[in-house]
Amino acid sequence: MSLSLDLARLFAERVLPAEEVERLKGLRYADAGHGYDAFGLHPDMVKLGEALLGPVYDKYFRVTSYGCAEAIPVTGPAVIAPNHSGALPIDGAMIWLDVLRHTSPPRIARAVADHFVPMLPLIGTFFARGGMVGGSRGNARTLLEAGELLLIFPEGVPGISKAFKDRYRLQDWRVGHVELAIRHGAPVIPVGVVGPEEQMPQVGRIPIQFAGAPFIPVTVPPFPMPVHYHIHYGAPIRTDRDYRPEHADDPAAVREAAARVKAAVQALLDKGVAERPGIFA
Amino acid sequence: MSRGVLVTGADAPIGERFVRALLADPSVGRVLAVGSRPLDEAMPFEDERRLTYLSVNLTRERRVHELLFGPARDLGVEVVVHTAMGGSAAEQGKAVHAMNVSATRDLLALCERHPTIKTFVLRSYAEVYQVQADLPVLIGEDHPLNLSPNAPQYVRDRVEADLHACVRMGLSPLRIVVLRCAEVLAPGTGSQLFDYLESPVCLRPIGYDPMLNVLSAKDVVEAMRMAVHVQEQGVFNVPGFDTLPLSLCIQKWGRLAIPVPGAWMTPLYRWRRQLRGHDFSYGMNRRRFHYSGVLDGRRARTVLGYTPGAPIDWPGLG
Repeated sequence: MSLSLDLARLFAERVLPAEEVERLKGLRYADAGHGYDAFGLHPDMVKLGEALLGPVYDKYFRVTSYGCAEAIPVTGPAVIAPNHSGALPIDGAMIWLDVLRHTSPPRIARAVADHFVPMLPLIGTFFARGGMVGGSRGNARTLLEAGELLLIFPEGVPGISKAFKDRYRLQDWRVGHVELAIRHGAPVIPVGVVGPEEQMPQVGRIPIQFAGAPFIPVTVPPFPMPVHYHIHYGAPIRTDRDYRPEHADDPAAVREAAARVKAAVQALLDKGVAERPGIFA
Repeated sequence: MSRGVLVTGADAPIGERFVRALLADPSVGRVLAVGSRPLDEAMPFEDERRLTYLSVNLTRERRVHELLFGPARDLGVEVVVHTAMGGSAAEQGKAVHAMNVSATRDLLALCERHPTIKTFVLRSYAEVYQVQADLPVLIGEDHPLNLSPNAPQYVRDRVEADLHACVRMGLSPLRIVVLRCAEVLAPGTGSQLFDYLESPVCLRPIGYDPMLNVLSAKDVVEAMRMAVHVQEQGVFNVPGFDTLPLSLCIQKWGRLAIPVPGAWMTPLYRWRRQLRGHDFSYGMNRRRFHYSGVLDGRRARTVLGYTPGAPIDWPGLG
């Protein structure tokens, strides 16, 4: 066992409540032989991730979760499709932890990141240990075939870098997530994340590629504000029942399914924004 | 009737182990072992009635012709397993290319018009695959190949030989089997990783810890033995038992891993190569020291019946 894993485990077991440490022993993953899965996930690093993100989730963003346990299947492949915003992918981290905490046995949302993320030193490795994979179709296919839970942001980089005036208006909604879901018989779970759209208002961007990222966002303030996160999970869209796998090659069917998901996410956002008491409350 | 097998590269460590495995397999008939060295220098084989060893320069087409249409025909060879390929990344030039590529092409062409040979097995390499951030971590047989003109000859030759065999599938009367084997972590196999791990201190680029898959000599021999008997042709990935991050690989080998800025790696390992005569080239391995790449062995499992079963005998603790 490596020193970093020993330290990760010790730290996590010191920080996390004993019952949570016990619950996380139920994590299921495909151990490729040395405690890691083929993509680099390690359960001790998942525990470390929860230990590090827990205070951010509980105290800073005060995340409130709606309907996670009901929406996420206990087993089998599924795709989580949320809106994406906030200049930094904190929304992804909060959904990752929310799913980990509210599923039993605990499931890991395997975030499918843009190609540049695995190129980032330290961050790419740390994220991979927590279950992130690079955004290639092959990675997503392998995970769905293995019955894993994917977290795909259909808006991609244009979503996370949207201007403040465009908050809660979904950007160009890509269709790859539903194509994968249809092909592999997986339901899609629409998710509306309210809060991060206001955490770091973007006022501009510096068109310089940095560490693989396509640009540097200019935000005011330059750090995320303690907005209140509300994560709303909608009823699964049964792409596994409403479509046959061959529909994955039908552009019209794929567009229709993607539009259903987009509409469901927008409805969750509209409801969430209308019902919240305030941005920080 | 048990089939005769011709093995090239029989005087190299993997070829030698493979010949021994064939001799232990009762379903194999005569074994014609071909190496580049004379028998007395090649391998200490005990007297074995089923074994014939010949020293043949495979870069000379005439010699190969005489081998195939002489002893191989007389022994009723049905399967040719071609494992002879330059072992070191430091070996470069026309002679190496002739051995790696031209010999493969000539051997395959002669096998196609041979009266007894039915199957051609090429021991290929995982190094033919491209590894980069935007490609899948799990490498299937349809994964993009490293076709960069800037790739070192070690890689370009392997890609060319592999592609030549693949192109002949379906056009050739032979059953062609290409085994793309993960890196064999053993001495004398040309393993870059083995050479890298020879140093007591192993430098790695800071911030990166990619997943690797390594193969034991026992497993690669077993995969080749299964390929001798397979009834289907095709390309098969041959992964090893051990899938682990680079840092753990270094640790399990009993070495000390020191992360350094990536920009330092190339000059430091160039100096090591020049001063100590080592084979490891960081430039050749840069991408796989950053991004994960693990062979997907599902096709080999379902068609060949191969499942990696022999882990690396890790010398370090942990």
